[in-house]
Amino acid sequence: MSQLGKIADTVDAYNRHVTAEVRRARTDAAFAAELRARWEKLRASVDVTHSPTGTPLPRLALPDTDEPGAIAEYLLSQGFPGQFPYATAAYREMYLDRASGAGEEPMRLFAGLGLAEDTNARFKYLSSHQKSLRLSTAFDGPTLYGLDSDHPGVLGKVGEGGVAIDTVDDMARLFAGFDLTRKDASVSMTMNAPAPVILAMFIAAAKRRFGPESAAQLRGTIQADMLKEVQAQNEVIFPVDASLRFLCDMIEWCVPNLPRWYPVSISGYHIAEAGATPVQQAAFTLSNGFTYAELLRQRGADVNQFGPRLSFFLDCGLDVEYLVLGRVCRRIWAIGMRDVFGADAKAQILKLHTQTSGRSLIAAEFQNNLTRTAVELMLAYLNYTNSCHSNSADEPFTTPTEQYALLASHGQSILLEESGLFRHTMNLFGGAPGLLALERQVEKAILDVFREMDTLGGVIAAMEQRYQRSKIQEAGHRIESQIYSGERPVIGLNRYVSDEPLPSVPLARTSPRKQRLQVERLQVFKRRHARRSPEALQRLENVTRAGGNVFAELISTVESCSLGQITACLTGVVGKFRPMV
Amino acid sequence: MAVAKSPRPTVPLRILTAVPICDGHDSAITTINIELARHGIEVIYLGYHQSVATIARAAVQEDVNVVGLSSYNGGHIVFFKEVVDALRRGGNGDIPVFGGGGGTITPADERVMRRQGTDRIFFAGTPLAEIMELIRRDYARLPRPKGRPQGDRALARALTLAERGDRGPKVRRSGSARSFVVGVAGPGGAGKSTLIDELTSRFLRSFPSGRIAILANDPSHPDSGGAILGDRVSAIYAQDDRVFFRSLATRGSLTGLSAAAPAAIEILRASGEFDLILVESVGVGQESDPFRIFGRGPKLVDATLFVLAPHYGGLIQLQKIALLNGADLVALNKCDHPMAHTARAEIQARLNQNARGQTLHATTAAKHFDPGVDQLFAALARLGALEPAGGEKPCQLRIEA
Repeated sequence: MSQLGKIADTVDAYNRHVTAEVRRARTDAAFAAELRARWEKLRASVDVTHSPTGTPLPRLALPDTDEPGAIAEYLLSQGFPGQFPYATAAYREMYLDRASGAGEEPMRLFAGLGLAEDTNARFKYLSSHQKSLRLSTAFDGPTLYGLDSDHPGVLGKVGEGGVAIDTVDDMARLFAGFDLTRKDASVSMTMNAPAPVILAMFIAAAKRRFGPESAAQLRGTIQADMLKEVQAQNEVIFPVDASLRFLCDMIEWCVPNLPRWYPVSISGYHIAEAGATPVQQAAFTLSNGFTYAELLRQRGADVNQFGPRLSFFLDCGLDVEYLVLGRVCRRIWAIGMRDVFGADAKAQILKLHTQTSGRSLIAAEFQNNLTRTAVELMLAYLNYTNSCHSNSADEPFTTPTEQYALLASHGQSILLEESGLFRHTMNLFGGAPGLLALERQVEKAILDVFREMDTLGGVIAAMEQRYQRSKIQEAGHRIESQIYSGERPVIGLNRYVSDEPLPSVPLARTSPRKQRLQVERLQVFKRRHARRSPEALQRLENVTRAGGNVFAELISTVESCSLGQITACLTGVVGKFRPMV
Repeated sequence: MAVAKSPRPTVPLRILTAVPICDGHDSAITTINIELARHGIEVIYLGYHQSVATIARAAVQEDVNVVGLSSYNGGHIVFFKEVVDALRRGGNGDIPVFGGGGGTITPADERVMRRQGTDRIFFAGTPLAEIMELIRRDYARLPRPKGRPQGDRALARALTLAERGDRGPKVRRSGSARSFVVGVAGPGGAGKSTLIDELTSRFLRSFPSGRIAILANDPSHPDSGGAILGDRVSAIYAQDDRVFFRSLATRGSLTGLSAAAPAAIEILRASGEFDLILVESVGVGQESDPFRIFGRGPKLVDATLFVLAPHYGGLIQLQKIALLNGADLVALNKCDHPMAHTARAEIQARLNQNARGQTLHATTAAKHFDPGVDQLFAALARLGALEPAGGEKPCQLRIEA
């Protein structure tokens, strides 16, 4: 049964509740007095800081009012930062300067190229420009599709667009020299269909390096969002039901055993990159999130255990809706989780990673991409995203080269550290009339999509009817037509066009020599484990057939089997995904 | 002789489009497919994550004017070369290959790729209108294989000529198979394509050396004359040299089949290559039988399989479905649907009225290893007296617990 209609109704009910409470605040003297007292206490709890020019500023800007209706409206509808319904922010202070100097660094820079040692070197370069250890990994095409580097016809793709990982040995090489058990270390992996295999390799490699008990200290995220893969990104290997089962097996295993790990990152990024509008992105992403919550609940998992381990990932483009998208999503998620799933506070918070839009970047006059990304970063941080990746200006041509990766990284530092926008005062813009108007419109539009999907039978049923794919393709086609007609201005493409030829930019490409080296390494691994691997694969097959937890078994399978061998074994049991147009 | 000829109708250009292996970026190609169809072109879309072998096989079987590849995550220099080489190796180097990849394919790459046989690269920012114009100008002519086309290309070319209303040279009989031809009809959305693909997988397992042909009819757009022929996207078991898959656009025919379907069936039969030929009609409901010309006359096929899904709209609608009277095999697909139980009883009762001993097969083609599909395939094999090679029983499949 789909919960989406119920969730939409619940959000509407919450909004009616806010309206009623505002009225009560204005008519019920006792309630008004209670609110005023609470408000005074909250205001008094706000410290004062000084900007470098000496201007005194509150660390949290609150509406300048004593009127009980306005207080009720703010506290219930927007929420104090770090409090229900979390429209303002997930936490109280987010990016503010701290006396201790320590804080959560939101910057993540996605990197991956060539072989494991090449990406390892890029990680070292990028982390030398960051305060804490933040390693975000892009994988090459064969790895994303669960194929080995020696699979027929994939050689040219090995190490292109991301790192090639075939075995646990490659995984060990990828993170060599980094202390992943450090408190400020965080690893993220953009990996979906083969996510259980890749995370199992990561755990196995970490156990080798840091000891058998190290799993509990590993912190990071793996994307593993199979619903959006079917809807938009197309990296699907197994049929939908098997894909979801493998994912839920992994989440269930991770919740107790990898307590600092986010085993799924529910992603709108690829939905938006495929052409969806901001509203569609938010509606499909949130509804996918609620679907995972429902699947896990049906398996008997406790929402208060798995809820805090779900994380989200949105695209941030240049459309005006992006000004509020993160805020609206946090609010809908919190209300739905609290009032439909009965989740406690920790499980109500939507933790958000944002990436600036790759689709918005173009090849023509590509240095304009620096400005596009800067504007998108500003929008992302205005939504108080928990972490953020900024794209490199050279991405229309290539995996980012060092020069543009560094500019992308410094763009974030300039915004957060050099400029005063986010360092001194929380909530600099929240509550502005424009924001509120947009929030209302965007929220309503998202709920409309929920209701439409509900009539189709929910997310999975809608997916089988190609609903999300059709909507995304239709929207993508509209963007292209608008660009060609000029209705959607793109500087350097349909407006202020110069006749300059495309620039020649340095490219990060993987040499055929390296591609062959990867294949040799893989074949050495396969020969070395030729006697053990058939038995390990047989055990994996048995567990899969018997309905056991596949992820628990994979942690030992990866010791002797390659990614491609494991994919083939699982496909033999559950079959292949049948793509949709 | 000076006989006035009526002007030859314009023949739609046929393009195969695909995204290379390990690449799921289909946003650009989807937009281009729609534009191509709008410009009167028949697009055979293969989908994303497609191997060199699959692309080359489809280009040959579909006998396209040109292949268009959209590559976004690198490795294009090697991949395009491998596609060109695979076509050339099979004697099909006359089929040109073009591509695009936004900014990921640089002018320097393009020079290498052209040297290695790629015909053209569309760079980032090329207006769609210009792409359409160039494709229509440069690829309108049917490519000519060097010498007499061989193997599947020869068959494919005969089908192309049949589609144009031409009689090509007689197809050489290359095998000794006695083809069993099954027409598959049913309303749109019943899951015909998926069921056909699952039957294909049963065939390939049961007949280790046999060949199967599939003629997939899809509607042309009534205004533009173009079409997006997307059946290959979900035909995951057709990626095998023992499967000959051909997409046919209806090109204005209203019978549910291309006007060339009768000739196409004859060509495939005459080749002696195929033990089984499945002919999929476009989605049809209550019209007359697409496998009889004008609903009467001799059947084009040896047997018909009618596929429907539980939401056919109740008893009255069921009565109106003329095809249920004559179908040799009837499948109720999507049996995992809650309405399937009632539907099964209603349809069986409807079949009993015919008093022809028709049995209903309950299938869930979307499910891997569905036993209902196994049973349907066994019934189909019995009906056609298909003899598995080596005397093994058809359909010895491992069924999931």
